[in-house]
Amino acid sequence: MPVYKVSFVIAGGDHPGAIVNMSRPPEVGERVKLGNKIFQVVEVLNLIPPRGEFHYIHATCRTEEKPKSGKVSKK
Amino acid sequence: MDLTEILSSVEIFEGLEPAELSLVAQICRERRLHPGEAITEQGDLGDELYIVTDGFVEVSLGEGAATSRVVVNLGRGQIIGEMALVDQGPRSATVRAIVDPTEVQVIQRQDFERLCQGNYKIGYIVMRNIAADLSFKLRHRNLSER
Repeated sequence: MPVYKVSFVIAGGDHPGAIVNMSRPPEVGERVKLGNKIFQVVEVLNLIPPRGEFHYIHATCRTEEKPKSGKVSKK
Repeated sequence: MDLTEILSSVEIFEGLEPAELSLVAQICRERRLHPGEAITEQGDLGDELYIVTDGFVEVSLGEGAATSRVVVNLGRGQIIGEMALVDQGPRSATVRAIVDPTEVQVIQRQDFERLCQGNYKIGYIVMRNIAADLSFKLRHRNLSER
């Protein structure tokens, strides 16, 4: 089963970002919960070539400007 | 989900066969953490490797509240304490749980070294993967500072 190791970097603000394994890659526009905070994914790219079942992804996020309803991916 | 299945989704064990994952599982011990609870304290000596299997931890540098800053959050599948495992130096950062529940699997250095010395294939694969994990963390740091 593939594993997506994702480096989340938060544009602006003072959040340090996160590294987490996911069962599927993040998608642009998706809302993700990293720890106790929710962010919106604005860019996704392959960071380095995959090795075995592991895929290495970089995702840039931004802080949500206001609370929204809808599904949030918990990491 | 059984522990060998969980370990198979952790990068440092990528390339191990199921029987080899079972040997690793035998030296793991589960630990649950409350938010704010520290796993490692910067500067302390440590002889344990931790694998986050649920929740999130924050990694901070600097001693004392005035100078401490969080440099990254680590979630499921990430490892903590690998530097002290490799170089046997003091802990390079303070690591605390930030969500409830947060769970880690703990591996003692002595158990890990005994396993690697008894099975060079496991030792080679895990050490190669620890190097890859350190490289990924460095890439993340570089991207964070763009």
